[in-house]
Amino acid sequence: MNRHLWIAGILWVVFTALALAGAALMNPFPTVGAEEAEFSDHAFRLMTYMGAPVFGFVMAALLYSVLRFRSGGPGEDGPPIRGVGAVPRVWLLTTTTLAVVVMIYPGLTGLAELRSDRTHDLEVDVTGFRWAWVVQYPEGFASQELVLPVDQRVKFNVTAPAGDVLHSFWVPAFRLKIDAVPGQITNLYITPNELGDGATDAAYRVQCAELCGLYHARMQMPVRVVTAEEYQAWVAEKAGK
Amino acid sequence: MAILVGLVLAVVGFVAGTGILGGIRTSMGLEYWSTDMSWSVGYPVALIGWLIGVGGWKYWAVEWFGGKAATPPKGVKRYFEWNMDHKVIGIQYGVTFVVLFLLSGLTAMLIRFELMNSGMQLFTEDQYNSAMSFHGIGMVAVAVAIMLGAFGNYIVPLQIGARDMAFPRVNALSYWLVPPVAIMLIIALLIGGWDTGWTAYPPLSVLTKSGQVLFNLAVITFGLVSILGGINFIATIIYERAPGMTWGRLPIFVWGAFAGSLIAFFFTQGFAAGLLMILLDRVVGTSFFHAAEGGSPILYEHVFWFYSHPAVYVMVLPAFGAVLEVLAHMSRKPLYAYRWVVGALLGIVAISGVVWAHHMFTSGMEDYLHAPFLVLTEMISIPTGIIFLSAIGTIWAGRLWMRTPMLFALAFIFNFTVGGLTGIYLADVPTDIHLHDTYFVVAHFHYTIMGGEIFALFAALYYWFPKMTGRQFNETLGKIHFWIMFIGFQLVFIPMFQVGVKGMNRRVADYPEAYEDFNRFISWSGFLLGISFIFFAANMVLSWVRGERAVANPWGASTLEWQVSSPPPEHNFEGQPVIQGGAYEYGVPNAPAHARMGTAAATENV
Repeated sequence: MNRHLWIAGILWVVFTALALAGAALMNPFPTVGAEEAEFSDHAFRLMTYMGAPVFGFVMAALLYSVLRFRSGGPGEDGPPIRGVGAVPRVWLLTTTTLAVVVMIYPGLTGLAELRSDRTHDLEVDVTGFRWAWVVQYPEGFASQELVLPVDQRVKFNVTAPAGDVLHSFWVPAFRLKIDAVPGQITNLYITPNELGDGATDAAYRVQCAELCGLYHARMQMPVRVVTAEEYQAWVAEKAGK
Repeated sequence: MAILVGLVLAVVGFVAGTGILGGIRTSMGLEYWSTDMSWSVGYPVALIGWLIGVGGWKYWAVEWFGGKAATPPKGVKRYFEWNMDHKVIGIQYGVTFVVLFLLSGLTAMLIRFELMNSGMQLFTEDQYNSAMSFHGIGMVAVAVAIMLGAFGNYIVPLQIGARDMAFPRVNALSYWLVPPVAIMLIIALLIGGWDTGWTAYPPLSVLTKSGQVLFNLAVITFGLVSILGGINFIATIIYERAPGMTWGRLPIFVWGAFAGSLIAFFFTQGFAAGLLMILLDRVVGTSFFHAAEGGSPILYEHVFWFYSHPAVYVMVLPAFGAVLEVLAHMSRKPLYAYRWVVGALLGIVAISGVVWAHHMFTSGMEDYLHAPFLVLTEMISIPTGIIFLSAIGTIWAGRLWMRTPMLFALAFIFNFTVGGLTGIYLADVPTDIHLHDTYFVVAHFHYTIMGGEIFALFAALYYWFPKMTGRQFNETLGKIHFWIMFIGFQLVFIPMFQVGVKGMNRRVADYPEAYEDFNRFISWSGFLLGISFIFFAANMVLSWVRGERAVANPWGASTLEWQVSSPPPEHNFEGQPVIQGGAYEYGVPNAPAHARMGTAAATENV
């Protein structure tokens, strides 16, 4: 019995190492275009690392059992281990600790950080309606392209007309989304920190992420993050019209 | 025949209902027909006609008027009309929902065909939305009802030593409400479909096409099925246990069914109420969800998820029970940490009611709600962890008999691990705000519901097939089904996690070209997954018709259902069985047999 535990234990270490290596090497993310994106990806990676030993444990136990403990029929019974006493208690303690850790970090701490900074350099109004987006800039013009200056913190006031339906404002490169609720204003704060252009990168698009009927899939708007000078020039051109 | 009568009476009822409404409308100077209103009035009348026609009158309601209920026929005929035997109802549920499963699976194939390339292939956007919505509600219905409906009905009374369910008439009623649900959803597709998925979020569901009304009527009916079934299981398990069947000796599948039924009973009315409010907004002109008139779309999300998150545990708790059942019997070991599992099942029932708003982290609800729902959602991983402990502890050092049901039960452990771990990313607000509504979510819930519950369903189906049909299934076909399904499943849903993180959102008829390679791979894998069910269907049909006769206890299992013939006699047991020990006493020295089977003569003395 002890030999089984040892081998399975080694398998656990091996699987965990493999899972950790996989997690370290992987880059499943779209373009990182904002501070919030770095933050979200960091939390994602962290949870992957935390999950690796759990995944490794189940896989080791499962695979070892399947390979080593076979029989050809119901002739012989296994040992009557009932699972009372220390093992379930240790298990409960371990899983509870893990759950509490994930709750606190990156969970609650991340949530607090996400909500902490309510300052902004620029404020724009975004309206979603079936099936398009429009952005209202403080200079008084509207645009069907979201153009933002790099390294400026932007506050989005998101809404939908009272007679319309739910939509959701989402830019994959920024990793944040918030629903556009008819008759209500919701907010999102984003600090883009990389230049990017929706013409070449699908992650730079405003995509409606709440099923809104017929052309839901097509409810997109290109996003461009530009330098401060380019932004000024663009605003001047748009406002001049 | 009874079904034909039912259909005719349903049409008569519909015509009568809409006719009276039309008369009233005409007299008020309105148009005779209003699709929303006519269906809302015609359908309930049609439903009553249907229930009368399929046998609700002949076998039950006639008694209310002093008549004498007819005696149900024997043989194959009884499966096609009102019948109160839990074994007949179990098979009715099983076959109906397997057909619905295959039908909804076929829509998934069409969806994958459409998504194979960027741009529109097979469907228009409108047709895509309808197909996606039908796939969604079809599969949700299957997932909610098939474990309890088919195996709960057939197996629970046998396992607890009862002659039938506590309320056989209610049981028959709840089954015969199911075909109207399926028929209404199909009619909804035929009159133009609906485009709100299975979630029916307003204001869209209030503003969209009339197919939505049929969806709402169907799903409210389905809610009734679920509640009636829930009450019946709760009462049966509390009151119909054989002498000696203490709570501590109940087979774990019965505990799973009990826990699932508690949730169905407590929470289903939330969904029904939400859908009724949408119906009222559409038909009567109330304004629960019209923002312009002071209504709140977010209100619906709360009401809806208040049911629909617990609903996933209606799906998965009986599945936990079935998997642990199969693992224990086919590992020839006592179920590991039995009492902890019971505690975990009830713990999940308790926590399931207070996690719903994790579906709403991006909905615009109050910010202060995020933290408590994050914490509570993470908490549910603790009882779920105990289920894993039990599964692993049970197979460890066992005598694993690798037959088809065992393969599915073991695959459940793998799939549910992936599903559970990926759930953490969605409970955690900082990552969920990106992942919400992407294919990451689609992959996650397919891992838990399909990889979890549906794999458990096949474990249960193959495990109990000999008992329910009296025939042995074909092992080779079963194993082919398993391996193609298992591999196909991984190849479909692993890449979905990736494409979701990359930025592809769900429920879209089309997507940017950047995601095309992923989608092509997923589609081909999807077709592979689809092929596995051809082997399944062939196996079921061939084995049922001309498979080898099954012996009473092909698995050598200890629980009660295996101590009677396959299929069991009409009233389950010749005499009253008496329970004298635990259900999983494998390898325990000098343990008494789980049950002492009574004889007809000995029953007097019990």
